[in-house]
Amino acid sequence: MPFFGELFVSEILKKPVLDPKGEELGRVRDVVVVKGEPFPKVSALILEKKKKVFYLQWIDLTIFNKKILSSVIYSNHLQSYTFSETDLIIVRDIFDKQIVDANGARVVRVNDVKLEGYNSEAILVAIDVGMRGIMRRLGVERGGEDMMRLFRRNLPYNLISWNYIQPLEPKLTKLSLTVPRQMVAELHPADIADIISQVSHKEGATFFKGLDVETAAEALSELEPDVQAAIITGMDTEKAADIIEEMHPDEAADILSDLPVDKAKEILENIEKEEAEDIQELLSHEEDTAGGLMTNEFIAYPPETTVRNAIEQFRKDAEEVETVYYIYVVDNDEKLLGVVSLRELLLADLDAHLSDIMETKIKMVTPDVDEVEVAEIISKYNLVALPVVDSEGFFLGIVAVDDVIDRILPPAAKRKRRKL
Amino acid sequence: MSLYRKIALFFAIMGPGIITANIDNDASGITTYSVAGARFGYGLLWTLIPTTVALVVIQEMIARMGVITGKGLSDLIRENYGIKAAFFMMLGLLVANFGNTVANLAGWAASMQILGLSKYVMVPVGAIAIWILVTRGSYRVIEKILLFACLLYFGYVISGIMAKPDWTPVFKSTLMPRMHWNSEYVMLSIAIIGTTITPWMQFYLQSSIAEKGITKEHYKVSRLDVVAGCFFTDIISFFIIVTCGTLLFPLGMRVHEASEAALALRPLAGDYAYLIFAMSLANASLLGAIIVPLATAYYICEAMGWEAGVNKTFQEAPQFMWIYTLTIVLASMVILIPGAPLVSLMVLSAVINGLLLPFVLVYALLLVNDKKLMGEYTNPKSYNYISWGTVIVIISLTAFMIVTNIIPSGKIIW
Repeated sequence: MPFFGELFVSEILKKPVLDPKGEELGRVRDVVVVKGEPFPKVSALILEKKKKVFYLQWIDLTIFNKKILSSVIYSNHLQSYTFSETDLIIVRDIFDKQIVDANGARVVRVNDVKLEGYNSEAILVAIDVGMRGIMRRLGVERGGEDMMRLFRRNLPYNLISWNYIQPLEPKLTKLSLTVPRQMVAELHPADIADIISQVSHKEGATFFKGLDVETAAEALSELEPDVQAAIITGMDTEKAADIIEEMHPDEAADILSDLPVDKAKEILENIEKEEAEDIQELLSHEEDTAGGLMTNEFIAYPPETTVRNAIEQFRKDAEEVETVYYIYVVDNDEKLLGVVSLRELLLADLDAHLSDIMETKIKMVTPDVDEVEVAEIISKYNLVALPVVDSEGFFLGIVAVDDVIDRILPPAAKRKRRKL
Repeated sequence: MSLYRKIALFFAIMGPGIITANIDNDASGITTYSVAGARFGYGLLWTLIPTTVALVVIQEMIARMGVITGKGLSDLIRENYGIKAAFFMMLGLLVANFGNTVANLAGWAASMQILGLSKYVMVPVGAIAIWILVTRGSYRVIEKILLFACLLYFGYVISGIMAKPDWTPVFKSTLMPRMHWNSEYVMLSIAIIGTTITPWMQFYLQSSIAEKGITKEHYKVSRLDVVAGCFFTDIISFFIIVTCGTLLFPLGMRVHEASEAALALRPLAGDYAYLIFAMSLANASLLGAIIVPLATAYYICEAMGWEAGVNKTFQEAPQFMWIYTLTIVLASMVILIPGAPLVSLMVLSAVINGLLLPFVLVYALLLVNDKKLMGEYTNPKSYNYISWGTVIVIISLTAFMIVTNIIPSGKIIW
């Protein structure tokens, strides 16, 4: 049982490991870790002596703390070691890398790794992302403490428990626990998008692949078009199709329109037919017009529907639809006759017909109207959504206020990658 | 691909290379070219050709790294060479870029003074405007302002043409190298390379390419952007030297600053040329003063893993906001406090820039040849000879510059 208490990996680096006689076996160069329950654990030390590299197993250690490291092995029994890409080693693979802190919803850099004794194993409990970690690595932790004391402050520890960590590199995901995956899914999609936009595309894609379909769909719609395209292009078609299918048709169309034609076709073929048709219809419009902004998910009932039936039907339909604040009234030919707001519907007499209470003077646009004009109409008449009809009055879809805001105020609403 | 699509693609991807190259011609660059033109006429024009070649070689590697790894240079150094290398590199960059910011605000102050505006008003106004623009403005506005500012560099081309040079000797001296073994001449030619190839712009270029998210497939277009930028920056340098070489050199007028050059141009080239020259200096200085502190704060925070971002508050991103704000505030103070050691600060900044450059270039070369990072996009063998050769020449020239700068006989500052 070699280890009680705790230490930081940088505190043992370059420290000598002694054999039973007190001779130096070598100095600590790196630490090998493997998956363990509940946390990853140390399986061996990598030692260096006179440019040669050796492998010392955890079970051969007798004392393991920041002052003394000793082993039962003599130098003639030491195994030599060649660095292999499949081993996970702390200094090479974890130190200085970016990692996701699922608790704080941000990307951090690993300054140091904290080990703790647990059932005769040394387990990875936390990473240090603070100033203290930087100073310890630079060998001036003590100096930093003294300086802060001059200002009557303590140098704070800034540790993140391994529980909350979500690695970005495929190799390291082996070490991630099952808990943080759920934590990540609980984050706001905008926070997930923020994390993805802070790291390189490759790492963003790895992170994204770990999300469940629903979370992925929500996060994807928060990202910049070029990032969306890069991520979807990097995925296999089937998974991409699952995610796109989960999205609202207008958002799905936006993403597909930024992809190479072949890839978009392939994805569309993998999507359920009805959904695919909706998306395809939206794809035919120019991006910066009412047609490009609209979604064909809306709530519409025939004029003779009673308020009672409408409310009942609404309770079923509203689950799937994003913008539900207007109930549109259409005839059998899908021509737009009128609109009833949700408030009017709820306040109306239950036996009234929709045709009795609907507003017939409707503001609407054709699909070719420019997005700026759409925004002006929505703003002028304080609408939540604006219907889009073709030249003959057939109801095509609606433009929701949030989609317009995204277009005229992109930096505030969308997660921008920083470009200087 | 049709020609139209090719052109459309270029405009979508262009930006990082051309903007980086433009900001490279900041106040200290313009000063060097003005001094060179006034002192040696067209005599130093030929140095622009090897400088452009070296610039293209280095920027191309940096851009390639940005495209393939999708990460900035400070990230790569931290991840591959550890915290010590990154920390000292960033510390050096902080000091050197503080000097650069001072130089740019000084250029701004000087150009405002020759337009008759007091520096005690204009420096605080400029500094506050920059700070507010960056921390409170939206990204769209900033980008538009930057691109517009880049256009204003054409002012130097116009003033060069307005100087009505005799083009035959101009091109002759550009294409036919002639070395003078005069210490001032040697120092100025080194200064031209030193002011063109700087440490911070390597970080800036790689980050902006990585963040633009340019993919491998579009790398060729990105390379065009970078190469075009390199040529553009040296064409601007060319016209500054031509302007001063045509008008000031024959009269034997010596200048030590870009603003002096602008003033000296007035009786010779008329009010317009003088105004254009002065306004272009103001523009270049302000552009540098916007980008350099901001870029510095970003690289440092990325390498150290601190929260960064312009629309964050002092509580959310304390290190980032303080580095950015203090750089601007202290740099303004240095200029406004009478008797502040402006000149020695510039020398210090030049020396630190010179000391950093070898490390930056060697790290960049090692990283670009790392198979794990770059895969099949490492340097081809023959290209490595060229790039190592270029790097070694630049390093020995800057070493020479540092030695002469530290030994007090050196008078040249860049």
